[in-house]
Amino acid sequence: MKKIQMIKNQTLSLISTKKIIQMSNVSTSYDSKNFVLKGINLSIDRGTNYAIVGQSGSGKSTLLKLMNGMMISSNGTIKIDYVVPDMNDKKFKKMMHTIGYIPQSLGLIKNITVIENILIGALPRLSKTQSLFKRFPEHEIQEAKRILKLVALSGKENRKVYMLSGGEKRRVAIARALMQKPTILLADEIVSELDHVTAHEIMDLIADAQKRMNLTAIMVHHDMQLALEYANRVAVIKEGEKILEIGVEGEKIVDFQTGDMSAEEIMEMYNDDSKK
Amino acid sequence: MMTPKNNIVIGIIIALLVVASYNVDANPIEFIEGLPNLAIVVEEMLLVEPKYVPTAIWAMFETIQMAFIGTIIGFAIALPLSMLAARNLNSKYVYAPIRALLAAIRTFPSILWAILFVIMVGLGPFAGVLAIIMYTIGFVSKLQYEAIETIDSDPMDAVSSIGVSKWQLIRYVVIPESASHLLSQLLYMFDYNIRQTSILGLVGAGGIGFYIINYIKFFEYGKAAVFMLVVLITVLIIDWISVKIRDKYIIKSQHGMEVTTK
Repeated sequence: MKKIQMIKNQTLSLISTKKIIQMSNVSTSYDSKNFVLKGINLSIDRGTNYAIVGQSGSGKSTLLKLMNGMMISSNGTIKIDYVVPDMNDKKFKKMMHTIGYIPQSLGLIKNITVIENILIGALPRLSKTQSLFKRFPEHEIQEAKRILKLVALSGKENRKVYMLSGGEKRRVAIARALMQKPTILLADEIVSELDHVTAHEIMDLIADAQKRMNLTAIMVHHDMQLALEYANRVAVIKEGEKILEIGVEGEKIVDFQTGDMSAEEIMEMYNDDSKK
Repeated sequence: MMTPKNNIVIGIIIALLVVASYNVDANPIEFIEGLPNLAIVVEEMLLVEPKYVPTAIWAMFETIQMAFIGTIIGFAIALPLSMLAARNLNSKYVYAPIRALLAAIRTFPSILWAILFVIMVGLGPFAGVLAIIMYTIGFVSKLQYEAIETIDSDPMDAVSSIGVSKWQLIRYVVIPESASHLLSQLLYMFDYNIRQTSILGLVGAGGIGFYIINYIKFFEYGKAAVFMLVVLITVLIIDWISVKIRDKYIIKSQHGMEVTTK
C-alpha cells in the first residue's frame, strides 16, 4: 500500500513539474469595470514553444506581463513554476532573474554598447561591489561573448545600440534575455515590424536557443501563419478572452479548446477576424 | 486671436505695469536724462590701465577655480539627492520631503549664501566656494530629477523585470539614459557659476568681484574696466568651449536617440 502511494506521489510530482505556467480564470482590469482579460485559462508545459496570437488591443501583451509579475491580476490564480508572480515576493523576485522578457519596444539602453546591454542580463549574479564598479567577472564576459556569437553579432560588441539595424537590435534584446540563463522567455511581438526574411532569421534564432537551452518560450504574435510555423501551441485571444487553443501535430492543425473545429475552419475564423 | 476676453487680460497686464512702475519709481524720462552719465563712465573706463592685466587674470583664475570646485562638489551632492527626488524611482514618502528640502535650498540666491558663509568661515574664497556648492545643489538637482523623470520607461521596465536591485537600475539604466542631459547640465552650471562667482566678491567671498567692487567704490573705472573685460573674455571662451563639448558628445547621442527602432 505504502509503495503504491509512493509511486502515485512520484507520478504526481512528475506530472506537476511538467506544467510551468498555470492560469485559471484570470481577469485583469485597470478600473474594475473594463476588463482587459476575462476568465483566461492557460496551462503551458515546460519546454514548449507557445504562441499567443491576437489583434492589437486584445490583451495579449497584458497576458505576458502577468507572467513575469510586472502586472497583478484582479481575479483568478496564476502560478509560475508553482509560485505566484509578485514583484514584492522574495521567492518570485529570485525567479525573475531567470525569466527573460523582451517588450515590444525591446527596452534596450541606446547609448551604451551592445556588450554592456547584454551583460545587464547577468546583473542578478553580481555582488554589490561588482555591480557598483561595473566589474563583471571574466566568466560572465566570456559567456556574453559566446551568446554574442550565438546571435550572430560577433565583432559588433562595442557598437552603440542606436547605431544598429532593427534586426540587430532584436538580436541584442534576445542576447540580454539569454544572458539571464532563463527557464522562460517571454517576447512581445518581437518580429512584427520586420521584413519577412529578417523575421524568420529572428524566429529561427529563438527556436534554436529554445531547443538548446530547453527553454519555455512564450511569444506574442500578430501573424497567425508565423505563429503556427514555429509554435507547438497557439492561443488566440480576442477582446480579452481566449477563444481558441490550437496546436500542430504532424501536418495537422488540431483544436484543443473545443476539439471539433477543422484546420480550415480555424484559419477561416482567424482570417475573418484579422480583416475586421 | 483677439477676443474680448483677451483684450481684458492685456488691459489688466498694462494697468499692472503702470501701477508697478509708479510704485518703484521707474521713470523712462529719468533713464534718458541719465544717459550722459553713462557716457562719462564709458569715457573713464576707456582709460584702461594695462598694468593691472596680470592681477586681473590671476583674480579670474581664482574665480574659475572657485566655480570649478563649487560646480563639481555641488553636482556630486545633488545627484544622489535628485535620484531620491525623482517620482519614477521613489514613493511619495521619499520624494516629497527631499523635494521640499531642495526647494528650500533653492530659495536663497548665491549672494545670500555667500553672506551666510562669510559670517561662518570668514572673508575669502572659501566662503564663495561654499555658497556656490549650496546654490548648485538647489538649482541643478531640480534639472537632474526632471531629466530623470523624462527618461524612457521601456528600458526601466525591461531591466526591472530581470529582478535587479534599485541601485543596479540607477547605475545601469537611469544614469546612462540621462547621461547626455547630465553632462549638458554640468556644463551649463559651470558656465553659470563662473558668472555668479564673479559677483560674490561684492560681499567679500573672494574672486574677481572683490576687485571690481572696490575700484568702483573709489570711482576708478579705468581699473575696474580691466577686470570686467577679463570676465567678459573668459565667459566668452568658456561658452565657446561648452558649445564644442556639447556638439561632440551631446548632440550626437541625442541624434542617436531619435533613430527609430525599426
